[in-house]
Amino acid sequence: MNAATAVRSFISETFFVDDFAEEDSFLQNGIIDSMGMMELVAFIESTYGFKVGDEELIPENLDSLSNVCRFVERKRSQAA
Amino acid sequence: MCGIAGFTLRAELTEETRAEEGARLRRMVASLRHRGPDALQGMLREGVALGHARLSILDREGGSQPMGDERTGVTIVFNGEIFNHEDLRGRLAGEYEFRTRSDTEVILASFLKRGIDCVHEFNGQFAFAIHDPRDGSLWLARDRFGKQPLFYVHDSKGFSFASEAKALFAGGVVEPRLDGRALMETIHLWGPTSTRSAFEGVRALAPGSFAHHRDGSLAVRRYWDLDVSDERIDRGLSLDRATDELEGLLVDAVRLRLRADVPVTAYLSGGLDSSLLCALAQEQLGGKLQTFSVAFSQNRYDERGFQASVAAALGTEHHEVSVDDADIGDVLPSVVEHAETTLLRTAPAPMLKLSSLVRSHGTKVVLTGEGADETFLGYDLFKETAIRQFWARQPASTGRPMLFGRMYPYLSVSKQSPQMLRQFFGLGLDEPHALDFSHRVRWTNSGRVSRFLAPGFVERLEGWDPVRELLESVPEVVRSWRPLARAQYLEVHTLLSQYLLSSQGDRMLMANSVEGRFPFLDHRVAELSARLPDSMKLRGLTEKLILRRIAKGRVPPQVWNRTKFPFRAPIAAALIGPRAPSWTRELLSRDAVDAVGVFDGGKAERLLAKLSALQGLPSEADDMALAALATTQLLAQRFLSERQIPDCDLNAVEVQVA
Repeated sequence: MNAATAVRSFISETFFVDDFAEEDSFLQNGIIDSMGMMELVAFIESTYGFKVGDEELIPENLDSLSNVCRFVERKRSQAA
Repeated sequence: MCGIAGFTLRAELTEETRAEEGARLRRMVASLRHRGPDALQGMLREGVALGHARLSILDREGGSQPMGDERTGVTIVFNGEIFNHEDLRGRLAGEYEFRTRSDTEVILASFLKRGIDCVHEFNGQFAFAIHDPRDGSLWLARDRFGKQPLFYVHDSKGFSFASEAKALFAGGVVEPRLDGRALMETIHLWGPTSTRSAFEGVRALAPGSFAHHRDGSLAVRRYWDLDVSDERIDRGLSLDRATDELEGLLVDAVRLRLRADVPVTAYLSGGLDSSLLCALAQEQLGGKLQTFSVAFSQNRYDERGFQASVAAALGTEHHEVSVDDADIGDVLPSVVEHAETTLLRTAPAPMLKLSSLVRSHGTKVVLTGEGADETFLGYDLFKETAIRQFWARQPASTGRPMLFGRMYPYLSVSKQSPQMLRQFFGLGLDEPHALDFSHRVRWTNSGRVSRFLAPGFVERLEGWDPVRELLESVPEVVRSWRPLARAQYLEVHTLLSQYLLSSQGDRMLMANSVEGRFPFLDHRVAELSARLPDSMKLRGLTEKLILRRIAKGRVPPQVWNRTKFPFRAPIAAALIGPRAPSWTRELLSRDAVDAVGVFDGGKAERLLAKLSALQGLPSEADDMALAALATTQLLAQRFLSERQIPDCDLNAVEVQVA
């Protein structure tokens, strides 16, 4: 499963959202709240096996599906 | 406090209709017995039926209702208290011959003199109906903040009213059906808006309004509204003088509310407001005050240490009821039975346990601290609004949003970067002048419950937005107010009137026949507060500054120093897991949820599975969704099927036919 599909299905199932666009801000659209952000980070860490540092907790990395996918790709390529 | 009910009669009474309408009135009054178990009475006469369930507090001998004026036939049923009735009585004495000591008769006399404009003179909490046979009018009125409830049905068959919707169903005046719009309003705004109930066709008389029914037509008018506009502010008032003036007024507000022919006690949460109230009451009662508190077995909700320290410092006779997770789940069906609405929180449940504790000690009147947070800017929402306004002036600033971290040291948001805080609290930052600027974050969060709704339910409301509808109903002038004033207006009209005073207030008190009295909601206090600049209330991140000055030396230092601690109760822990009450298995199953048709059964099942498997605390969003789901299922179960009223209640009602 690619990251986009996996993260989308995690968000749909965890936060009960049926549909959202890749570029939608999670926080501004109320798709997930600040506590949900922590759940998302925990999911990324456990699924992709890397740690998300405090300095990486920024919207550019986490606040939309496309941002998360880019972030995950970058981290994985760094690790590889 | 009491319950009232009644309806108009069009045709002349015949032998047959007399029996039929008498039985209808009897059922309505019987269904309100919890509000007034001391006497249940009704009267039927040309044009109208009026009923009353009485909780006797003042003039226990003479205050019987319905009460009529012999000369004119003008007759009243009344729920509540007029606290300045002695002063009014003095002013009316030359023109009206009083037969009782009751405040009910003071309303009657005032109405005879001034007509419905008499409401402006009343300092109190009230909902009443007056029938005037001289012109066939039926008048309804409700106090300024909506401390007492009043619902009505107006359709081609006639006009009926009651303190609670259940009486209208008992009277058979309307078929109970859930109102989809009220539900959408509740899951966004915490309660339906001021003129709606949870049921189709059952309207609420808005706080601060009266209604006039005559010849089949109905006119509703607002006679009072919160005015915290800039023009009200008295710039010449020093903090010292303002503090003295407010102190004098609060002492008087408490003094008026200690008047009763039965002992007056107080709720003590352990926060600043209730502690100050208890201190003021104890000063006047000379050591006889009884206080009542909720203690939680879960530490994160519990305030018992603070409560005990206040009770000890003031020397009150203190009582507490301890509430655990299972208790919340067990009483929730009863909570919904009385609140008559979907809820996003379970906090009314401990309040129901608390009023039961009061009653078990043989007392039936309590002072309670509602209104101080709205009037003196106590809520975090006001601080958020202030910070967001400050930040909106410099939107690029990374330092400004960090104030949220200082404000919420205990929340996960504080651990986040300024950029994350920006995404969360920055919602609507580009529109600092928008009317809903203050509430957008909260309403967006609670509105997320709507994703659990059944597709069929949502389809019927396609294109209808509860927030937009609320904002459109706000008077134009409010839009020009400063941001904190707009926030206060919205907070009073939504959370205070439509949730705290109703679902968590009156209904939980009256369920156990206990009357609440609210000194901070004496309208004189609100009007004085409107004259004070915001900086006397919220200074930096210190809330309720002026109240703190009055409380200093009156309450223990650890309470005086406390920041606002939200009153909350467990939701998921109360409804999920091995100790969950048995009703949850039946009512929260996928099939049962689909059968009601409001929430989506599949999503409900997944939510329950997620929460069951959870280690640690549930998210705010999931907790609220569960509360809304469970209470909606209970609401449907309790109200959508026929309900028998016990014979003992029916037989307790005396109906007189004039």
